[in-house]
Amino acid sequence: MRELRIAAVADIHLGEDLRGHYRKKIEGIERRADVLLVGGDLTRHGTIPEGRVVAEELSGLPIPVVAVLGNHDYHSDRNQEIIDLLRDAGIIVLDDEGAVVSIDGVRLGVAGGKGFGGGFAGKCASEFGEPETKAFVRHTKEIAERWRRALKDLDADHKIVLSHYSPVKDTLMGEPPEIYPFLGSYMLAEAADAEGADLFIHGHAHAGTEKGVTPGGIRVRNVALPVIKHAYTVYCLNGDHC
Amino acid sequence: METPHYVAARVQRALAEDERTTELGIRVDVRGEEVYLRGQVSCDERRHQIENVAREAAPGLRLHNEITLVEVREPGEEEHL
Ligand SMILES: [Fe+2]
Ligand SMILES: [Fe+2]
Repeated sequence: MRELRIAAVADIHLGEDLRGHYRKKIEGIERRADVLLVGGDLTRHGTIPEGRVVAEELSGLPIPVVAVLGNHDYHSDRNQEIIDLLRDAGIIVLDDEGAVVSIDGVRLGVAGGKGFGGGFAGKCASEFGEPETKAFVRHTKEIAERWRRALKDLDADHKIVLSHYSPVKDTLMGEPPEIYPFLGSYMLAEAADAEGADLFIHGHAHAGTEKGVTPGGIRVRNVALPVIKHAYTVYCLNGDHC
Repeated sequence: METPHYVAARVQRALAEDERTTELGIRVDVRGEEVYLRGQVSCDERRHQIENVAREAAPGLRLHNEITLVEVREPGEEEHL
């Protein structure tokens, strides 16, 4: 089976002040990668004009683009419209669901969405006490359950989880530990580990580190732009040769 | 003098909530009369906006803008998994 070259980035935080800048950096991406995954925080404020900049920058590439939204893209309550306009531009947007792209006959399944926080085993919030706390934890739990089902339903040769929030602490190293519960949740890792995946891509933790692993052994990569410092990083999933 | 701790918290909130910045990734430290801003942003204009918003939230204090510009480079070597 052919090797798959996965380009990934997150937290591009585009706005009208950056129009055209990111596009310039990804020209020629088809020579380096077979697909581009974008892990949320596409905009700064989640406004429609910013969403249009994102659509312009990411559309019309010769390779498929799969994206999720991040917390910034929810800020102006226009998240659904942003999803719609990105989809109209030909970008595959995952909102707690899965999609399969076929690359020279190799089926790559990607499942995920924005994700949410809650913290990590031993130091996490639980569904107890005030309704606000319960709602916070339940939100993550429901997302994780949808991802588990989406992963299970993917009929693919390789599976990747694409998220904005982190599934593990490893890739948060560099962030203040006090804010870990707002950066991710172990429940996202648990969902991926339950069904299995080749790779877990996320962003959100701008001051974090690139590499980590879930308790079940799935490689985790934080591709937030300030972390990878490149327009994108390419991960090769094992084929017969490289 | 206002407790530095609360000044830092106010500046941090202003940077996150002000429409001109909505920046969550900036570290704010206040030592006496000095305010230090640290972090990374993608263009100079944003760096200045952050400084402006921080200045408004901490009037009368001396501001040190130590935010660095993160240069988006062409992709480097790939990783084989
Ligand atoms: Fe971000
Ligand atoms: Fe984020």
